[in-house]
Amino acid sequence: MNLHAADYLVILLYFVFVIAVGFIIKRKIKSSNDFLASSRSIPLWITSLAFISANLGAQEVLGMIASGAKYGIMTVHFYWVGAIFAMVFLGVFMMPFYYGSKARSVPEYLSLRFDEKTRGLNAISFAVMTVFSSGISLYALAKLLEVILNWDFDISIWVAAGIVMIYTFLGGLTSAVYNEVLQFFLIVLGLSPLVVVALHNAGGWENVKQNLQPNLTHAWKYMGDTESNPMGLHWMSLIFGLGFVMSFGYWCTDFLVVQRAMIAKNMRDAQRTPIIAAIPKMLMPLIVVLPGVVAIALMQPALQSSGYSIPSKDGQLDYTMTLPSLIAHYYPSGLLGVGITALIASFMSGMAGNVTAFNAVFTYDIYQPYFVKNKSDHHYLMVGKVITIVGILISIATAYVAKGFNNINDFLQLVFGFVNGPLFATFLLGMFWKRTTGHGAFVGLLSGTLAAALTHGLTVAEGKGGWIAPEFAIKSGMGQAFIVASVSWIVNFTVTILVSLFTKPKKEDELRGLVYSLTEKPKYSGGKWYQRVVPLAVLLLVITILLNLIFF
Amino acid sequence: MYNKLTQLSFVIGLFFTIVSVILIGNMLVKNEFTALNLYTSITFLVFGIGMMFIKKRKEV
Repeated sequence: MNLHAADYLVILLYFVFVIAVGFIIKRKIKSSNDFLASSRSIPLWITSLAFISANLGAQEVLGMIASGAKYGIMTVHFYWVGAIFAMVFLGVFMMPFYYGSKARSVPEYLSLRFDEKTRGLNAISFAVMTVFSSGISLYALAKLLEVILNWDFDISIWVAAGIVMIYTFLGGLTSAVYNEVLQFFLIVLGLSPLVVVALHNAGGWENVKQNLQPNLTHAWKYMGDTESNPMGLHWMSLIFGLGFVMSFGYWCTDFLVVQRAMIAKNMRDAQRTPIIAAIPKMLMPLIVVLPGVVAIALMQPALQSSGYSIPSKDGQLDYTMTLPSLIAHYYPSGLLGVGITALIASFMSGMAGNVTAFNAVFTYDIYQPYFVKNKSDHHYLMVGKVITIVGILISIATAYVAKGFNNINDFLQLVFGFVNGPLFATFLLGMFWKRTTGHGAFVGLLSGTLAAALTHGLTVAEGKGGWIAPEFAIKSGMGQAFIVASVSWIVNFTVTILVSLFTKPKKEDELRGLVYSLTEKPKYSGGKWYQRVVPLAVLLLVITILLNLIFF
Repeated sequence: MYNKLTQLSFVIGLFFTIVSVILIGNMLVKNEFTALNLYTSITFLVFGIGMMFIKKRKEV
């Protein structure tokens, strides 16, 4: 792929803009709350787009297009099963506790609801996960630029990390959020022409369907039997594993995304943030799944005149390269720069999102409660800034470790799964069962994580797992991930209840605003129906069900 | 001008407007008017100008 002057100009322009945003926001940063939590001052349309963008990193974009090519239209399950329902649940039921409790972070909510040890466990595991995720994102960006543009690996790493450091150091969370919104428009507007031209080249959707096996163009029809669908999944494990455990575990408890709703101006906007975000999320498969399906159709005999093919590696299709190869095939000079900038933006934005979540959790939930209490606000602002630099430096180190050990990404994803899988059980019980105790939550969380590790050690899928004893074979790695998450969730749920029944709960007075049955429900009068939380949520659920039926 | 720059919609609009100018300039310099570049440039320009002049309250 060869870039020309116009392509480089677009990339340079993007770098200038993101740094300029940092300088503009810097003038407004006066306190640690401004830097780490945006002082709860961000308008709804920005929090909503930032909420969805925090999950729209390049690994997501590249990964979903790769899945579209590999598994076909079934990939939409990650949106229409694995996202919308959880986002609506977060907005309607959980945001009143996160926002209403005045907690500055998800771990801080755990300290208010349970105790310090549960907060500490969640804060440390989250901080480690985010900073390593940031490093993996940086490594993936440098590797991609090295492969498709022959750019130097080291220069890519230091330039990308340097730019992220400048704008997050200057403008903190607000700066990261603003750039996430710019990145959202870059991805949507930058990749839309690709969808149009590739689909046109393939002769339209009907022609794509005619040229592909039916199990690649139906979302549900072949899910009654694990052998007949490309993911090798049964619909029940999909609904429980992805639709409930993994989806709710991520969207409702991961501070990286929840933080975007917590910076809204008021409770009503905080609740509407994930619900408004669900609208573009619902349509996102058009941009990040459809191109993959079209790409595989373009390689069928009847459409080979298009001249397109997904690159191969070791004799097999390298699905990860589907998006870069589509961009290289269809985009002329100029627009090529826009496509590459969209990719760079999504990597950098993913990194900035992780770093800003890391510095907030480290400062609020590790440094302030456990190391240096009762210092001035200026002190914590300085700590937040220093930790931003430290987070970036750890990310760079992680990127180099990932370069030396290819398996580190798989390993880290595995550990993240062990920690995140059971987490939603802790929040569900904590928010909706007032009898849940701190000891129950802590022991349940540890047990769930242990159960996840044991399940992975006893199952094998695509050569992975089985490190204790390869007792159970599972067809796909994705199926294994769903089973591991489901087992860990059930163990956490059960152990938390059992331990809570034998330990002393907090007094009801201490739980007001933190537990559903003891909290006054937000009531909103006035405003049009589409501005209200519940009618909007119901409408979204109906449309999501209809979409599933249309692509059944 | 500083107040305008604190509006994210204005910043995003300005970015896409400049990108569209780069794309149009590239076509003029190279004298290659591919339909894809042309339609995308026009879309970016309309979107960019629309975002720049959309009425919003101060955002920061």
